[in-house]
Amino acid sequence: MGRQLMVEEASFKSDLLGAIPSLRAFAVSLTQNSDRADDLVQETLVKAWDKQGSFQPGTNLKAWLFTILRNEFYSQMRKRGREVQDSDGALTARLAIHPSQHGQLDLQDFRAALQLLPEDQREAIVLIGAAGFSYEEAAEICNCAVGTIKSRVSRARARLQETLKISGEADFGPDAIATQVMGSSVG
Amino acid sequence: MTKPFSRTRAARASRKNASTVDLLGSNSEIARKLKQYHDELLSLEVPERFAELLGKLEQAERARAPGETADGEVDR
Repeated sequence: MGRQLMVEEASFKSDLLGAIPSLRAFAVSLTQNSDRADDLVQETLVKAWDKQGSFQPGTNLKAWLFTILRNEFYSQMRKRGREVQDSDGALTARLAIHPSQHGQLDLQDFRAALQLLPEDQREAIVLIGAAGFSYEEAAEICNCAVGTIKSRVSRARARLQETLKISGEADFGPDAIATQVMGSSVG
Repeated sequence: MTKPFSRTRAARASRKNASTVDLLGSNSEIARKLKQYHDELLSLEVPERFAELLGKLEQAERARAPGETADGEVDR
């Protein structure tokens, strides 16, 4: 009946509203740009609303929405004629970020390092490590195998560690320098 | 294009087993930074335009066809 439908619609609407912060976070991770991210979220909400009938209540709305957002993102990229980056971001090699102080990596460094990841790795590590999806869910969202997500996450992690010089920082960090300085002033 | 997430319950149920094989290292610096990065994004204020948009979509739908849903094949 109409009334039942209105109730369902109202709850769909409030569920969409509730998902907006997560959608925006994911959109920012994908686009690296807050205006583009908001446009993407807007497009996602319109699409989700139109496809409402194909959502099965009781299943994972957030994953469903992330899928729509991601599809929209890649379709926009194709329209813009920009090639989706492949797995070897040459940029990463150019940039190494040193932890600001005492090996404490600040958030800005981290963001910069994240941006340098190839898109497929970035989305995988964000879906798993930030948005909190399971590997299975992330695989559905990205329309790929679970093993693919796992390997992207591993590669993303390794690359972040490398960029951020997380391993081995003790050898080069301020402590090592301080020790040297102290050593020479004493000697 | 978008397939229903029929298997997500099972996925969630099995998450405790296989899927938590922890490639990120739950206490690693990377894992902590990711959380922090994400929390910061989540805490951003949501612009009004989204609530307004949903309100408009809802109104439009009610005006158009009370008692019917758009069947939603807006595939690209």
